[in-house]
Amino acid sequence: MKYVECFRALAQHRTHEIVITSAGNSSQAWWAATRDANASFYLDASMSLSTMFASGLALAQPDLKFWAFMGDGAFAMNPGMLMVERQMNLQNLTHFLVSNQVYGATSNAGLPNLGKTDYAALARSMGLDRVFAFKTIEALDRDFPSLKAANVPGHTFVVLEVEPFSDQEQKLEQPPFDGPELKFRFGRHIESLTGADIFGYRI
Amino acid sequence: MSDKNATAAARIADQLASCGVKLVATLPDNWVMDLITTIDHDDRFVHVPVNREESAIGLCSGAYMGAMGSAALMGASGFMTVIYALTKINYSYEIPLFLMATLRGQAGDHHKHHISNGLYLLPVLNAISMPYQIIDQPEDIGLISRCYTHTRTYSRPMVVLFTRDLLRGAH
Repeated sequence: MKYVECFRALAQHRTHEIVITSAGNSSQAWWAATRDANASFYLDASMSLSTMFASGLALAQPDLKFWAFMGDGAFAMNPGMLMVERQMNLQNLTHFLVSNQVYGATSNAGLPNLGKTDYAALARSMGLDRVFAFKTIEALDRDFPSLKAANVPGHTFVVLEVEPFSDQEQKLEQPPFDGPELKFRFGRHIESLTGADIFGYRI
Repeated sequence: MSDKNATAAARIADQLASCGVKLVATLPDNWVMDLITTIDHDDRFVHVPVNREESAIGLCSGAYMGAMGSAALMGASGFMTVIYALTKINYSYEIPLFLMATLRGQAGDHHKHHISNGLYLLPVLNAISMPYQIIDQPEDIGLISRCYTHTRTYSRPMVVLFTRDLLRGAH
């Protein structure tokens, strides 16, 4: 499926989830799909760490639900993160592995072991039970709502098989935030939802 | 665990708790095993052993954005692997982070494979303008809360470096 179309479909299914994007193309795609400037943290500077960042958030705020995107380029750098995620087993966290089979942010350079790695099998081998994979928008629209609504224990891992960005899509706007602005926009949003005190002062 | 090591570990744990630290992400180093065991058995903390040091940086940075106090504990060699994560996440977004690491490769450390840490750990910290505090004596453990507070003022990471004398006793 097309990368941005996949993200637009996910955005349609989103209700109150807080989103963390990753290094790679996921920030551009999510920004194109949502223009969300408060409830999404565009963690571009984070090769392989977006789901760990989201795990810290999900641990800290168990009443909120978190979606974390990560490309398979980032995943290849730190697959052991799944061991930590399984160990923490946070029910309020969904890890989306966006498999475009390339290092999307670097002109679609090829991944090692291209086409042979079975990410869902890798996740199951680390003990994850809630493992899903989608190859089409139709399947995503059909099955994702029930997956999302399921009130069952455990952290969720979803593989999204998408096409790499086209040359035109590579020119999609990056989320237009400096790091500190993003920190405060997102943090103030979390504070407003939860009453938590992140920064130690309020304006 | 010797009484001295137990005392140092317990005092460090008390300092962390007094700062409001809840999440402690760890990777082992022989010098901090008593401290990791102490934290693991202490109900004041959620102890998360992680797969690599960079994961601790991501995890604790996210916890900060969720208003949960946290600390990352690792050896000097592990610290040397996290420069990317620190400079990208914590410097780019100005996210506070409190780290604890071992001051390896100094006089008293008999392991030749830590010579590189003795040579380069402090220069690397200086190169990325990252403040650090060496904690060498039990009476200095109280500096932990001061350093933790500084991360919140500075909105970036700071590391306290534990010596062998503190964690294992002089020899």
